[in-house]
Amino acid sequence: MTPEEVLERLKQRFTESLGEAEVKGAEVRATVAAERGYEVCRYLRELGFEYLNCLSGADWTTHLEVVYDLSSLTHPSKVHLRVRLDREHPVVRTVSDIWRAADWHERECYDLFGVRFDGHPDHRRILLPEDWVGFPLRKDYADERMVPYTDYGFEEKAAKEAAKGAAKPAAKPETPA
Amino acid sequence: MDREKTPIPIGTTVLTERTGETMEEMYVNMGPQHPSTHGVLRLMLKLDGEVVTDCVPYIGYLHRCHEKIGENRSYQQIVPYTDRLDYLASMCMNFGYVLSVEKLMGVRVPERAEYLRVILAELQRIASHLVWLGTFGLDLGNFTIFIYCFREREMILDLFEAVSGQRLNYSFYRVGGVALDIPNNWVAECRAFLAWFKPRIPEYDALVTDNILFQKRLQGVGAIDPATAVNYGLSGPMIRSCGVMWDLRRNDPYSIYDRFEFQIPVFDTCDAWARFLVRRQEMLESVKIIEQALDQLPSGDVMAKMPKTLKPPVGQVYARTESPRGELGFYIVSDGSPKPYRYRVRSPAYCNLSALHEMLRGSLVADVVAVLGSVDIVLGEIDR
Repeated sequence: MTPEEVLERLKQRFTESLGEAEVKGAEVRATVAAERGYEVCRYLRELGFEYLNCLSGADWTTHLEVVYDLSSLTHPSKVHLRVRLDREHPVVRTVSDIWRAADWHERECYDLFGVRFDGHPDHRRILLPEDWVGFPLRKDYADERMVPYTDYGFEEKAAKEAAKGAAKPAAKPETPA
Repeated sequence: MDREKTPIPIGTTVLTERTGETMEEMYVNMGPQHPSTHGVLRLMLKLDGEVVTDCVPYIGYLHRCHEKIGENRSYQQIVPYTDRLDYLASMCMNFGYVLSVEKLMGVRVPERAEYLRVILAELQRIASHLVWLGTFGLDLGNFTIFIYCFREREMILDLFEAVSGQRLNYSFYRVGGVALDIPNNWVAECRAFLAWFKPRIPEYDALVTDNILFQKRLQGVGAIDPATAVNYGLSGPMIRSCGVMWDLRRNDPYSIYDRFEFQIPVFDTCDAWARFLVRRQEMLESVKIIEQALDQLPSGDVMAKMPKTLKPPVGQVYARTESPRGELGFYIVSDGSPKPYRYRVRSPAYCNLSALHEMLRGSLVADVVAVLGSVDIVLGEIDR
């Protein structure tokens, strides 16, 4: 089944709840409303996407997202499905009854993002201790032990050098780092 | 097991019924400090006499916020962190990471760098399988194989030390190529190692493969049926031991793996014995790939021309590679800044371990160590 066919079928069946959708290479990239997420997953499983590669969360500060990466062992198409969730009450139905692989992935997503998976058989933290407060991968999570990003003034220095190099006619060729 | 009730009462007994008789059911805690868990892993086993009826793994003891740290580092700065994911296969971890960033940026890597990457990744696969075989032997009470495997692994580490200066955490792959060219005479040394290594496999066979005790400990132990294996997202040798022909080097080729001729070993008995055979065979196939790559190794640059600060275009990518343990995926979201907006690692051993209770259910308590050993876990990668 080609990715175009997959997308066509998804569009036919979930016209109103399918957000932006495109085909990129062998991958179908689609966004779907949270309340239809489970049905889309079940339908994709019927289309032959029997392998859940990865289930991850993402925090977009305005909303949360759960991302499903699916593939099949029989055809080369892949699906990259994104489900948008409310940041205050992020609840989505579990897909662990479709793919058991989702069991631990969803627990991890809950652990780090605080997304609740409705109907999950074993809904608790997995990587962090059970008494941990907060969800570390949310963008507003603060911890004084966290080392912030620094490029050690690298970019500033490079910009200065570039300005100098532009002034001189024969600039030194850039050597690969 | 009633998974809702946590923590599970330790050392208490409850009454249950099996085959009409009333038996005592017992919870046994295995780990976190246990020589056979290969790291810090705690298994809660539910036993009915000598039979394991359920198993709940508790992980996270080695959690080091890998993904959170990744969001606060530049794309080059993450490479050394990926070494520490799977410390037995650092080259393969580097490989997966740089490939995903390159896919995001659309970088073309010089030919020579591609070949060096494949050679080093396959050497790493052999080294990783050797550690697995050695420690697996230890688990099953065969100490000799451990010494033999580590002897050969030491030679691979010497080769790695010659190219990167490190013995374990290489950070040798860069976005756009590899850090350095190989030293003079390295190719000859590598060939000498391969020539030494190939006759070692029959030596291992004499120690373990043909050893009736070893066979009896593994055959029919820890079986999982193919449909369940796919459903749990098992990958690598775990899924190939279930008769499923699935190897990303063949099924979704990345880098230059489509240029080499090699077999994908598949066994269909689905048990620990099949997993052993798959890994044993894979070492030989990796040798084949390395030999072809050394023959074709072109000259030229090992690093593409890259900007000093990497700023991939806005977008997201999920790129997967075949690490010694299975499908290693990196999901990276870029917002155009020098650091990733979201950085996620899909670790193969994490998914493989999540199906442990399926493999253990109904097996004897003495087989737990054998089954766990056959999964080939590395906790650094599971806990991240």
